[in-house]
This record gives sequence, structure tokens and C-alpha cells, in this order.
Amino acid sequence: MTLPRSFCATIVLLLLSAFAAAQTTSHNTPNSTSAKPRSSGEGKNYPASLVQQGAALFRQDCSFCHGRDATGGESGPDLTRSKLVAADVNGDKIGSVVRSGRPDNKMPAFDRTDQQIASLVAFIHTQQKAAQTQGGRRGNGGRKGVAPEDLQTGNADAGKKYFEGTGGCAGCHSPTGDLAGIASRFKGLELEEQMLYPRRPKSKVTVTLASGQEISGRLAYLDEFTVGLTNSEGVYQSWRSRDVRYKLDAPVEAHVDLFSKCTDDDVHNLMAYLQTLK
Amino acid sequence: MNFLRKAFLTLVCALAFSLWTLAQGADEQTLLHPPSDSWPGYHGDYSGRRHSSLQQITPENVKNLSLAWAFQTNQTSLIKSSPLLVNGILYFTVPENIWAVDARSGHQIWHYVHPRSAGEHIGHRGVAMYKGYLYFLSPDAHLISLNAKDGTVRWNVQVADVTKGYWTSMAPLVVGQHVLVGVSGDFDNLTGYIRSIDPETGTTQWQWNSTPPAGTPNQTTGGMTWMTGTYDPDLNLIYWGTGNPTPVLNGSTRPGDNLYTCSIVALNPETGKLVWAFQVSPHDTHDWDAVETPVLVDGDFRGEPKKMLMQSSRNGYFFVLDRTNGKSLLTVPYGPVNWTLGIDKEGRPIPNPAKEPAPDGRLIAPDEGGMTNYRSPSFDTKNGLFIVDAHPSWSIYFAKPADGVYGWAGADYGVWGKGVIEAIDYQTGKIRWSHEVGPGGSGAGVLTTDSGLTFTGDASGNFLALDSRDGKTLWHAGSGASIVSSPTSYELDGRQYVLMSSGGVLFAWALPE
Repeated sequence: MTLPRSFCATIVLLLLSAFAAAQTTSHNTPNSTSAKPRSSGEGKNYPASLVQQGAALFRQDCSFCHGRDATGGESGPDLTRSKLVAADVNGDKIGSVVRSGRPDNKMPAFDRTDQQIASLVAFIHTQQKAAQTQGGRRGNGGRKGVAPEDLQTGNADAGKKYFEGTGGCAGCHSPTGDLAGIASRFKGLELEEQMLYPRRPKSKVTVTLASGQEISGRLAYLDEFTVGLTNSEGVYQSWRSRDVRYKLDAPVEAHVDLFSKCTDDDVHNLMAYLQTLK
Repeated sequence: MNFLRKAFLTLVCALAFSLWTLAQGADEQTLLHPPSDSWPGYHGDYSGRRHSSLQQITPENVKNLSLAWAFQTNQTSLIKSSPLLVNGILYFTVPENIWAVDARSGHQIWHYVHPRSAGEHIGHRGVAMYKGYLYFLSPDAHLISLNAKDGTVRWNVQVADVTKGYWTSMAPLVVGQHVLVGVSGDFDNLTGYIRSIDPETGTTQWQWNSTPPAGTPNQTTGGMTWMTGTYDPDLNLIYWGTGNPTPVLNGSTRPGDNLYTCSIVALNPETGKLVWAFQVSPHDTHDWDAVETPVLVDGDFRGEPKKMLMQSSRNGYFFVLDRTNGKSLLTVPYGPVNWTLGIDKEGRPIPNPAKEPAPDGRLIAPDEGGMTNYRSPSFDTKNGLFIVDAHPSWSIYFAKPADGVYGWAGADYGVWGKGVIEAIDYQTGKIRWSHEVGPGGSGAGVLTTDSGLTFTGDASGNFLALDSRDGKTLWHAGSGASIVSSPTSYELDGRQYVLMSSGGVLFAWALPE
């Protein structure tokens, strides 16, 4: 006995129709409530409508990290104090950051039209101008800036003592060597961030090949499986880490060991000391 | 002849049943006991353990794992959602987008695009399913029900007011006749809540508020319900984590513990009534939501059988609670923390007032992103290990009177962090093994399997399969982008797949056929 053919056909038809129904692509969408964008509206050099448009787009794509008023949110920097924004002319820098993202800083790329980028640029510049003219007072809701004057509570003598003693900083750094003029190169929060853990620290690596040959250079890539360096000629080379031995020279890691040992006073005192190194 | 007739009838019944289930989609039984060829909710099953019973891919053969297919969304939005799998079709999202994709081949069945809406587009965790319908939250805080077969919209209701500062990004949880949704928002002083919605009509059934109405003197706002909760059908309780209080970094206008922010709450799903609450961060001033998965585990705790709830919380502590009553069994840090004066007799960390954000800054561990975040941990039932993608980290927190008392009300800056996959012994809090996953940290969640594998990812975008016993790497593949989602696994046609995403691409891995 076999299955009746009509039964099989019915099943096949049913399956096919379910499949066909599932193939239908839908763009059938409801109307959504649109929000009034909260914008400073102070587009002195930009048309207010462009700034408004930028504010709405900024809120959708950027505000979670950079704050609704561009003064910083969860994880993203305060754009009103950003050097890149200050140096930007009509989106020549902001545009490429938006389109390419910043993979190193976990900022994703955004696929946006020229017009949308122009509106974002108008909004960000307007916010920066507003922040400057308001003397650091920020709008509601976003993260707030840290001014250099906020970071003047430490004692420079105690900081020097920590630098030379408990902190062990003098083991690697010198106020007349690498740190000479540090307070002229970095100020305020940027100096404190550099002090706690330098951005993009340059580490060296020496790779020993199976043949015994040693190759040294600047560490360019390292994960569990691959080690890469840039040699003295600027050429990138990499190896499977299981094929070679490598030795990292990353003195910056000493900073990490200090986090659990230093107090807030130590941080403030050290900051006061570094600010004397002009 | 008689035998053949019986066989025929059985076959007819089986086919009829399979057609019936096809029409039913994710029914109550599927949600309660997901078959191995399904992943019908955000966490897979209701427990939040993300532990697969599948055993085809093993520590011995995982080195042969290869790509079955990849699906390109062609979007710059990163996939953060956990795809649902029902009747051989995967449903997953990025903000404003849902795809239905054949789980066998990876080809698109339909693609729904919601009109560009207001509200933060920070990410989307996925859809929920009940019978033949999907439930999708839009950035402008609407819940949309769609027909799973073709992605057409059935109804659309507003669940929060985007103009006040709410938005939504979570995957709803379906329990019985309830679609449970949570809300997001940190830039305004708003009340967080969980709302229960009728799956058929979209009508609100109940709402539980985590904090009093905005403007109540000396009371907190906040307690957003960012992430998907879990459910114990025997106790008939849903478990949900609530977010930080607002104003976020300045606690001066909200003295006291700020209930029920940064809490794990147990609610009755029929009424929305609070049964118990446990606050993991009293009077938080560091943005440490307690919305990480409340993982439900039944087992021995120091010799006694217990119904437990475990959370690796953003504030740096690992909590084990008795989930029948919310009483603490264990509170222990799983990385560097420096913001407490100790643990109180109820098992809650005691915040150190000297570590509240200050005008000249305070050095704090962990950082604002926390010791972990929305990415899912996994409970490996076989080895009794709670495995989490941890983020040891340090940061500086600032707040001054000029920053006001609205929204963020301060500033914080990450100083340093790294990623470590940690296997925590749930009875002691001791870290059995750890596996470094790179500077900055990884955004990948964790899946464990009965065969003894731990799937996750590293900070460089490598997918990893580790040996659950000791954390050693057994397999890896570079994905080419950041991993900010949690793996899932299913079996179709006798073949086990592991699904992981990175960037805007979904990858299905399997052993060669």
C-alpha cells in the first residue's frame, strides 16, 4: 500500500503555498509618531532648518554615546570639546569619521548621504559654538564637561613625592626627559587621561623565528593567534603566534598595576605635580 | 495489511501534526519546552542559561567546524539581536529592520523595514514570537505585531512616549497570554516600567513601575527595563533586571536606596504585582544597570537543593539568590571593584560615599560599561560553571553642582579595560578558569553546550570555541568586525548549527556534511 497520490499532492500544495506566502517581502508599515527634535537652534553660520535636521539625526544615531547635546553620553567623547570638531571645516573631518567609524574606539561606521552629513556637521558645530559661548554650561540631559580648573585640588609637592617614591613613576619617566613640557602639550582632562593610561601606547615586540632569527619592531597587531609588527622601515610583518616566540616590551602596563594601589588623593596630587611641568 | 494501514494513519497524523505546528508557530508548549530545532525566545528557553543540549559538535571534532552559510544585512548597524528560530526560519533584527531567513540555507525569505523613526538607534536585541506572530519594538517605542509568514503588520501600539525621552531596543518576552516589554532612557528623569500587552489585540493588561512618577520630592526616577527577563513556570514568576536611577551620576536629589532601581524583581505575570525584589546596587551613582540576564538554575547550593537565580551584574558583583524569595545566597566580586564598604547582611554591596562622582574626579572600578553588559552569560549545567564575558576596567567619574540634577548630571571617562571570559564556580564565586580576550574588551556573549564547548568571541573579532573544562581554545575564525551579540545553536536535518554574528553579518557554522 502506498500513500494516495492526491494526499501527497495536497501536502505539497499546502507546503508550496505556505512557502510562497512566506516569500512575500513586506514594506507595509504603520505611521510612526515623530518626535520634535531638541536642538539648540543657534545656527549662526548654518541655516536653522539644517541644524534642526542634524539634531534629529544626531539623536537617532549619535546621542547614546555622545549625548543628546553632543557633550558626551555613554562611552563617547564630548564633541563640543573635541579637537577634531574644532579643526573641522565644513565636514572635511567629521564626514570621514561618520562614514568610516573609528574601529579602534568601537565607533561604528554610518552610511549617510552628503546632505545628512552636512546636517550633522551643522548641528555639531552649532553645539560646539554654544558650549563655548555659554562658558561651559551645558544643556540638560547629556554628560557634562570637565574643565581644567576642576582638576586643581591636588598638592604638587605630595605629587612629586609620590612620583619619586610610592608611585614608582620615576622608574620610567623623568620630569626633564620624556615629561619635560608635558603640561604644555596636554591640559586638564586630557593630561589626566594621559597620566592614568596613555592613549595608543607604543609597545615594542621582539619575535624569534623557528630558525632563531630575531626581528624587532613596533607592535602593530596582537591577538591570540597572530602577532604583527612594523619594522624600522615601516613594513608590516606578521606570524602565527604558535610558529614563533615573542617578547613584548610594554612598560605602559605598569600603569594598570597602579590602579588598585593608588588613592584619589594620589591621582589629584600627581596631577598637580605634572601641571608644574610646563 | 493491518500494519500498513496503521502505518499510513500514523503518517497522516504526523503530517497533520507537523502542518498544525507550522500554523501554530511558537505556541505555549514550544516556549516552555523548546525542541532542539528551535530557539523561540531571546534566551532560547525561559531559563536564560543559554546552555544547549546538543552534542554533535564536540571538543574533539570542533576543529573541523566550517561555514555552512553567511547572511549579509548590508547595513552598517551591528547585529546585537539573538535570532529566533521557529519552523526552520530565523527572525532577527537591527534597528528598524527585521529579516526572516531560511535556517538551512541562509537565504532571505522576507525583509521588513520600519520607517525611520525618532528615538535612539543604539541597537536592537530581537523579536519575540507567539503562535504565528512576531513582536517588534521600534526606536520610537512602538510595539508592532507582524505576521511571521510574510512580515506584514497586524497592529501597532505605542508603549512609551519618545518625545519625553523614552526609546525601545529590547526583545519582548512572551509568557502565556502576555507580551512583556521594557523601556529605555537615561537622558531624562523618567519612570521605568514593564508593560504586559495582549498578544492578540495589543491592549495593555498591566504595567509595573520601577520608580515613582517624575517630580516626586526626594524620590528617584529611572529603573529602565532595557533587557529581556526570564520566567519560572513552576513558581509562575517573571524575573527582570532594572536599570540605574536618574539623575545618573548625581544622587543628591534622590536620598536613600532608590527602590526599585538597579534591582532584580520577581513579578506575577498575570497581575504585574511585585512578589520580591533584591537590589544589587543601592543608591547607584555609576550607571550600573542590573539588567544583565537573571539566569535560573536548579541545583545544589552547598549541599542543599535550591531554586536559584544568578546574575553577573554590571557593578562587578556576582549574585546568587534563592529565587523563591529573593534571599541572598552569595555575593562576590568577579573582577576589580573599589566602590563599596563591604556587603550588608542581606547580601547587598554597601556603596562608599567617597566613591561617588566628584568635581575633581574619582578613580572607579569597574568603568561605566561595567564588569559586563547586555551580552549574555551562560550557565554550563554540566560543569556547574557560570561563564561570562567579563570586563575588568577602571575609569574616572566627575560630577559638580553646575552639572545639574537632570539626566546624566556628570561625566565619566573610561581609563583602561580588557576582556576576560571567566568561568565562575557558582557555589563559591571562585574563578575556575579565565581566558583573556583582548584589550578594551569583547562584546560577545557566551553559549555552552552539553558536549563541553563554550562559544564566544574576542576583542579582535575572532569567533572562539573553548573547552568548557579549562577554557583552552579549540577552534577560532576571524570574522572581520566587532562581535556584539550572543551565540545560539540549533539542530536541523540532523545537523547542529552554531549561529554567531559580527558587524552586519550572520554566520552559521556546522561540521562538514
